[in-house]
Amino acid sequence: MHKLMMGLARTMAIIGGMVLSLLIIMTCLSIIGRLLNGFFHGGIMQSIAPGFSDWMISWVGPINGDFELVEAGVAFAIFAFIPLCQISAGHAAVDVVANAFPRGVNRFLRMMTEILFAAVLVLIAWRLAAGTIGKFGNGETSFLLEFKVWWAYGASLFGAIIAALVGLYMAAVRTYEFFTGRIQIWDGVEGEQ
Amino acid sequence: MTTLEIGIASFPVLMGLIFLRVPIGLSMFLVGLGGLIIVTDGTLVAFGRLKSETYTTFSSYSLTIVPMFLLMGHFATLGGMSSALFKAAEGFLGHKKGGVAMASIGACAGFGAICGSSLATAATMGRVALPELKQYGYAGGFSTATLAAGGTLGILIPPSVVLVIYAILTEQNIAKLFLAAFIPGLLAAIGYVIVISIYVRLNPKAAGTRPPVPWSERMANLVKVWPVLLVFGLVVGGIYGGLFTPTEGAAVGAFGTGFIAWTNGGLDKENLIDSFMVTARSTAMIFFIVLGAGFYNGFLALTKVPQELADFVVSQGYSPWMVLALILAFYLVFGCLMDSLSMILLTIPIFFPVISVMDFGLLSLIDMQASAAMEVLNNGIPEGMGAEMLASIQESIANGVELTREQMKELGIRVTEGRVNRIESEYVAIWFGILVLIVVEVGLITPPVGMNLFIINAMDRKTKMIDTYKAVMYFVASDIIRVIILVLFPFITLLPLYLLY
Repeated sequence: MHKLMMGLARTMAIIGGMVLSLLIIMTCLSIIGRLLNGFFHGGIMQSIAPGFSDWMISWVGPINGDFELVEAGVAFAIFAFIPLCQISAGHAAVDVVANAFPRGVNRFLRMMTEILFAAVLVLIAWRLAAGTIGKFGNGETSFLLEFKVWWAYGASLFGAIIAALVGLYMAAVRTYEFFTGRIQIWDGVEGEQ
Repeated sequence: MTTLEIGIASFPVLMGLIFLRVPIGLSMFLVGLGGLIIVTDGTLVAFGRLKSETYTTFSSYSLTIVPMFLLMGHFATLGGMSSALFKAAEGFLGHKKGGVAMASIGACAGFGAICGSSLATAATMGRVALPELKQYGYAGGFSTATLAAGGTLGILIPPSVVLVIYAILTEQNIAKLFLAAFIPGLLAAIGYVIVISIYVRLNPKAAGTRPPVPWSERMANLVKVWPVLLVFGLVVGGIYGGLFTPTEGAAVGAFGTGFIAWTNGGLDKENLIDSFMVTARSTAMIFFIVLGAGFYNGFLALTKVPQELADFVVSQGYSPWMVLALILAFYLVFGCLMDSLSMILLTIPIFFPVISVMDFGLLSLIDMQASAAMEVLNNGIPEGMGAEMLASIQESIANGVELTREQMKELGIRVTEGRVNRIESEYVAIWFGILVLIVVEVGLITPPVGMNLFIINAMDRKTKMIDTYKAVMYFVASDIIRVIILVLFPFITLLPLYLLY
């Protein structure tokens, strides 16, 4: 089970990373296109080789609506990153005070935290689903590229659902750990003293 | 309970959750959600907001900088740039007293210019510099403390993830904030080098000596840092040259470091997946805090707590400098407990409104009018200006009196109070941001829970934590002195802005 969930989280992180890399490459291409376009528009190229320059301008330029793609893509990437953070206890927390508590208390706190976290992730996925349906219903499109906004919401929703699944799984693991006292997943914050 | 009381009551609840080790982002989200439900009397508003708020938070164009800078930092680690920087710095400084430690600081500063995270800088440079420091007989605690302190340069010297977050929270220009961080960042590096030279004189046994490197080798090593300079020049030059936005700059930087790492053979499939994993974890962590903070701050704004607090502080007539000192002291103390990003996200929405209504008198209306007027007059007296008018303007300037509307009209300048206030509030926002950035970074190296100390100490099994603690206090002292200097002379931080804008 853990292998499956970990594999799922890692796969999502890799997909998110690839999307992020694609966005980086696309942004760079867009910048190059924009600079080249300006260059061929400039006085020097227009006087040396006007025909060639005009031909270049006709197809070299910034990628249309690049920042819309960046926004949609990065939202998906971040949702795709959450499962890994969840399963590997990557969230920032303050543990100076909690370190002083006895082990049992810490395990109880850990269980409660994971249950709350899972509830919040489920809530987020549920509300995002409602948001997606809303965008689907009103047929809203993006400003420049005019792609359907619900596509972007839908992609993010996919990530959010996986995050909620992994969150539920972690809540189950920590609950089991609290009641049996056997640690299933060691990640350095079990609260052993 | 009134809305305001609910807002105030939310604070202890939030702190309670955080100290029970509930992740900071989750704590803020829960308290924000609960508060919103209570204040708006039902789940309608809160759940309605959640329909799109997660998506819009995560799809913010300016926040895209964060994962890109994180990825850039990891690629930089893989590209062998850290060791190139260290070798180059060591060639010039290594033979001096405490020189290898100084070289570590120099290399950290260089690495900070392509990496926006303190932890990554400390970890990367630690891997490169610790073995060398050991080899030349540097004391364990001294070495680890040096690298932990050097790591904080990662975030002081732009690019910086924390500054991006601050810029978004306070609606300031990211490029200007980066610019303002330069001089304080360099001062930090210089301060640390001074600390090292004092430390090795007080504790002569703490550092060994290293034979000087011949000049030919120094130059050869220096040449090898070109990729760092290229990427840094491209990103920073591109942003300030107006070629691209900070987000695009981050993309260029990530691509550049990735490309260099790939050509150096550091970026194979395994390493790439590894970079994705590390970036994914930190990104998800940061964005969850951003989401929680957004929700919590939305609730706080509804209760009007920040506004009431700002009004209260003003009505009490405290000196702005006193308020600033208290806030900075608060950060120093809390920085020992909480990571810098969470602290900024948690507190800036509360403190910033207070600071922005304070009058620090960074700019004086009369001085600005006088200098603008002198500039016009030095270029020749404008046509059609009567001798009487000229005399009256000269008299106003000489006596330090505000120019009248007619006088300014004749001169063709418009330096009104409103305009000066606008510039001043921007300057205060930037200056305050840099000060906060520095004090929260001090938290990374203050015992008992400075993250940088843990990271470096974990790399060096033989050094006791207590030795690191002892040595790092010297660096903390230099940080505090620097903060005091920057508070007293806002001009130092704002100088590049005066020059460029």
